[in-house]
Amino acid sequence: MSARSIDAGRMAYYVLNGAIITFLLTPIAIVAVFALNPTPYISFPPVGITGRWFAKFFATDDFMISLWLSLRVAVVVLLLSMVIGGACALALARGRLPGARVLTAFFMSPLMLPAILTGLALFQVFQLAELDRPVWGLIVGHTLVAVPYVLRTTLAVLANFDTRVEEAAASLGASPLRVFFEVTLPLIRPGVIAGGIFAFIVSFDQFPISLFLVPPKGETLPVVLFNYMKFDLDGAIAAASMVSILLALSVVLLLERVIGLKAYVKL
Amino acid sequence: MTANRLTRRAALSAGAAAALATVGAPAILHAQTATLKITTWGGKWGEIMKGELLPAFEKEFKCTVSADQAFPFVPKLQASPKSNPVYDVLHTNSNEQWNSLDLGVVEAKLDHKKIPNIADVYPYAISDKIVGVSIFTSAIGLGYRTDKGLKKPTSWKDLADPALAGMRGGYIIPVNSLGQCHLMMLGKIYGKGFTDLDAAYKALEALKPIKLVDFTGQMEKMLLAGEVSMGIIHDSGVLRYEGQNQPVDFAIPSEGVMALEQVLNVTPGSKVKELAYAYIDYMLRPDVQKRLSETVWYSPSNKKVKLDPKYDAKLFNTEAKVAQLIQPDWKWYNARKEEIDTRVTRLLKG
Repeated sequence: MSARSIDAGRMAYYVLNGAIITFLLTPIAIVAVFALNPTPYISFPPVGITGRWFAKFFATDDFMISLWLSLRVAVVVLLLSMVIGGACALALARGRLPGARVLTAFFMSPLMLPAILTGLALFQVFQLAELDRPVWGLIVGHTLVAVPYVLRTTLAVLANFDTRVEEAAASLGASPLRVFFEVTLPLIRPGVIAGGIFAFIVSFDQFPISLFLVPPKGETLPVVLFNYMKFDLDGAIAAASMVSILLALSVVLLLERVIGLKAYVKL
Repeated sequence: MTANRLTRRAALSAGAAAALATVGAPAILHAQTATLKITTWGGKWGEIMKGELLPAFEKEFKCTVSADQAFPFVPKLQASPKSNPVYDVLHTNSNEQWNSLDLGVVEAKLDHKKIPNIADVYPYAISDKIVGVSIFTSAIGLGYRTDKGLKKPTSWKDLADPALAGMRGGYIIPVNSLGQCHLMMLGKIYGKGFTDLDAAYKALEALKPIKLVDFTGQMEKMLLAGEVSMGIIHDSGVLRYEGQNQPVDFAIPSEGVMALEQVLNVTPGSKVKELAYAYIDYMLRPDVQKRLSETVWYSPSNKKVKLDPKYDAKLFNTEAKVAQLIQPDWKWYNARKEEIDTRVTRLLKG
């Protein structure tokens, strides 16, 4: 009876996991099928295999320029979010600030506000300040919604942080700066990096904020894809999506290779 | 370990370099040249504009053109200060120009003296149904598959053929001006006129089951993919596939086609109004009109445009042909849009 119930439990476990994996991967599989289908429209079932949509994607200046811009913006947002989010998390968790909970909610608030309103509000601020739409404005907008991810993951690490390690380092003569760089920072790094990866992806895929903040001739890839879809809904869109997915995956793998992300998976 | 450290440093350096390049590089210096801020479409239209027509305009008028292709244009214009608008020239379809007029972000009337080419446009381009000037138009009619044994539609009523149940295509009316035009047309065909909404609602409900899309590009692809056999579409959405061996064609219903105008207007707060007017005049030049017409299959507004035979045969470029164009009363429609949106959403739910 017991063995049977274990088998049933294991079976349910596999079925549930299989269903979740199928649910997550099916859209990617469909996009891949569309990207390789030779018809000039998105159709199912496919009638053959072609690389023409990838060729079109890579040969179209608008796509390439926007892809490169999206990547650069996402890298900057990743760096800024890690610095700002990490610092805020430390201050909130360790700074004994009055109203720390209220401040945490305040810093998390960009996630609660519809991003399109954040984009519109920032656009209005830039216009009133006669700044037009600078690229750094776009970075500010993306950072605003990316910081809460770093903040949340870093606060999660800090919640289990054993401060006695820092006290031990200090009692052995380490200066506060040395304690920070050699003890605190390595210990909170998993949270900061995990949040940074979220920040990169949030920025790279960001649409509602970018919609208002992208400058003319400086559109990010999601905005270019949206505009393209209104006029030419062909396989290049699917090819662009595949490239985006592969790029995001490459960044995660690169970070794993460079920083050793695997060690932080337990987070 | 050492290699790992070096790699990490290299990665951080690359990130910092990217940061500096990204923040610094787009700081385009406009020097002392005037900048004209406009909106424009993407797709083939955008390619020709950015690749040929705008650089030629910049060279001739010694200015810089900042062309925004990222929707939504009107909310951005509305959110910018009226004394320093984000655009000098607004390019939209006609219904949005009427909205913009209500918001006070475009001129009620253009100064025709500053647009010499306006003397050569067809009357519809500057009629009382237009705010600004229509530089091109498409005709909204019926697109259909030629390989499904269908007779070429001759009336808007053909879309209601029971044989097309589930295979006819329309639009999500609150967000698409072609859908809005069709609704008004239903009022005329099944009721007392374009403003007979009760008749239009009844006729619309009779079209169920119907496949609905947001954009005309989606309707094009549904027709090409055979997901619908007949749908409401503008002529350019079908004609652009001419010569590509696609089994689709465009039909002009006997009751007439609705005009989908491409309208330009100047913003009242523009600081480069002379340049804005010069741009509108430039877009009405016969050579510019011909280039764009023959790229995107839009009918030119300028009567003097001589199109190549294959375009001449299909586009609305004679007095007799443009007489078939029906211009919607967007002022009337926009005033009731909220009520109409609620009603049609309920009607077409599910």
